[in-house]
Amino acid sequence: MYFRFGSALVLVMLMSFAGIAIEKQCLALRRAVIRQQYRREILGDEYARLRLQTQQLGAPVRLFDTLEHGRPERTPDESPGEVGSGRPSLLAWQSGQHADQ
Amino acid sequence: MRVPPLAGSSNLAQGSPANSPDCTGSDATRRGRRQLRVVAALLTVGLLLTARLVQLQVFQAGRLAERANRQRTYVDILPAPPGDLLDRDGRVLATTVKLHSLYLNPQELSDLWSVALELGDTLKLDADHLYERLSEQREKKFLWIKRRLTPADEEAVRKLPLPSGAWGFRDEYLRRYPQGVLAAHVLGLRDIDGKGRGGLEESLDTALRGHDGRRSLIRDARGRVIDLADDGDVPPQRGTDVTTTLDAIVQTYVERELDRIVAEWKPRGACAIVQDPITGEILAMASRPTFDPNDPESVSSNIWKNRAVAWMYEPGSTFKPFVVAGALERGLLDRSAEIDCGDGEMRLGGRLLHDTHPYGRLSVTDVLVKSSNIGMSQIGARLSNEQLFATIHSFGFGRATGSGLAGEMPGLLRPIKDWSSYSNASLSMGQEVAVTPLQMICAQSALANGGTWISPKLVLSAASRPDTISRWGSIDGRLTSAIRRSDVRLPSSVVSRATDRATARWLVEQPMTEVVRRGTGTRAKLAGYTVFGKTGTAQKLDPETRTYSQTKYVGSFLCGAPAGDPRVLVLVVVDEPATNGSHYGGTLAAPAAAEILRQTLVHLHIAPDDIQSARRVPQLGPEGAD
Repeated sequence: MYFRFGSALVLVMLMSFAGIAIEKQCLALRRAVIRQQYRREILGDEYARLRLQTQQLGAPVRLFDTLEHGRPERTPDESPGEVGSGRPSLLAWQSGQHADQ
Repeated sequence: MRVPPLAGSSNLAQGSPANSPDCTGSDATRRGRRQLRVVAALLTVGLLLTARLVQLQVFQAGRLAERANRQRTYVDILPAPPGDLLDRDGRVLATTVKLHSLYLNPQELSDLWSVALELGDTLKLDADHLYERLSEQREKKFLWIKRRLTPADEEAVRKLPLPSGAWGFRDEYLRRYPQGVLAAHVLGLRDIDGKGRGGLEESLDTALRGHDGRRSLIRDARGRVIDLADDGDVPPQRGTDVTTTLDAIVQTYVERELDRIVAEWKPRGACAIVQDPITGEILAMASRPTFDPNDPESVSSNIWKNRAVAWMYEPGSTFKPFVVAGALERGLLDRSAEIDCGDGEMRLGGRLLHDTHPYGRLSVTDVLVKSSNIGMSQIGARLSNEQLFATIHSFGFGRATGSGLAGEMPGLLRPIKDWSSYSNASLSMGQEVAVTPLQMICAQSALANGGTWISPKLVLSAASRPDTISRWGSIDGRLTSAIRRSDVRLPSSVVSRATDRATARWLVEQPMTEVVRRGTGTRAKLAGYTVFGKTGTAQKLDPETRTYSQTKYVGSFLCGAPAGDPRVLVLVVVDEPATNGSHYGGTLAAPAAAEILRQTLVHLHIAPDDIQSARRVPQLGPEGAD
């Protein structure tokens, strides 16, 4: 009788622990999803801000004077990996940039 | 010592009923009754409790559950970001960024003055005024302090030692126009509550605005959020992105030319429109004075008006080709006919008509080239009033064009019964009729495309972004598609026949091309292109004297190219130039219109059709290499 009672008690406890574990995992997953959603929102907001900034900087009205009165000034590529590599950077598109190399 | 017994004690001892056998039955009865009363009382209490339970759980269950739910849950509205406005190449004309707005809970504040002082210093607000607001609304739980803070202000507020639970931020969207004043009148703006005001922002508000979402929050007894409810979660539905027909490059050309006109002639106002005559698409539309939509507080009422659609003027000579088209189409005028314009003056009843010079006999082409009022009055006289009215109406005058822009005026074309004996001649010269610049360029498009009037088009396409993801990560495609179907209602094109193809082609390729080659519009000549056009100089009506003013004019110029296959039309209208000098449309507006036309043709890679003239002028200018 004691064995049966003990077995039932252990079974009930095991089921409870399993339920608690599943519940905790569910909550953890839920937290993770919400966190990802929040990150996505932050990234979306950042994307919108950067997009706005890009459009402001690239607005035709802003570029016209420079384009009509000569080539826009361009900062030379100063990334350390490209120095002395003998290979033109992908961004150094203007001919003559690496003419002396 | 013997103690005498107490009086009566023996009697008590002997005669006590409790000790007597008779008393045992009555005690039991009494005990039984007491037990019965206790049981009855317990039963009554039990029954009452049961009845109350039944009342609460059965009869009032729904109402109480709803009340408890209301106290426990809080529905948070999630504002939807409005959709973007783009130009035809995808450049952003209007977009939205999320910012935080600061609110306070005055009930939770103990020291109002110190809070007002700190926030006043940080956010550049009047601390006294803020303190007054907080004091007056002490009982409230929510009070806006400053909306749409800059990131720097937001960071500064976070560093303030404000009491916990007494303040917070809410997300709000701020409309930004990255191209600045470009096409400000066409776009309009959004007010602080996100409502579209003017332009496309107002006319497409339903599609652009989107749908707010909501989420249910579970609160504790003190009102603090402890969890998110599983149900009732509706994600915000972003507004529809609208691609306009505007071309930001062409729009920039137009804005620059208008700025030059304003600087040189200091007019009361000016506007310009560029249109594709084949499709009716508006490539650019601008008006002066203008405003910066990024600074809505600076917009005063007098600069709000979009003169391209909400201003009416007497068109003058730019109206003449339409009357000629009506006469030619009906066979009432032959292309080779000659009109006697006399010695530059003609009496019409009590009215004396003038030409700039005495022209004698003029061909139909020359009547338009020299813009003879006398010649036009004679051509108009060949049409009956009904025929003239029908002609004018068929070119879209007297009714709104259907552009969909907020505030568009229908123009003014009086019914025939209100015409006087001079009306026929006046209308033939472009008087007694009020048009909007948009009506005028649409009518000219009808001539340029071979006789078909097409309603102007400002919206190229509209599409929802499929980025609606609910809190649980699933794409709510059903909601997105439902909104996409119901919200985006683009104005449909209206097409009607204005005149026959042969008449339209002849007018464009002959008289209107000659106007630019040797007439009043010679300043619009372009190297490499055969330009057609028509100048217009109209006296304004003086409201005080009710006669035509001798000092106030509207100068306009309408042109297009290439004449053989018109691809671009430009209209420039200048209202009341203030500086001394010419008031003629050929001087005021033609150079600007020609420059806009040249730059647009090059930008659109439209090949020159007049190679000989192109060889004579080797350089096209800065955009020649485009």
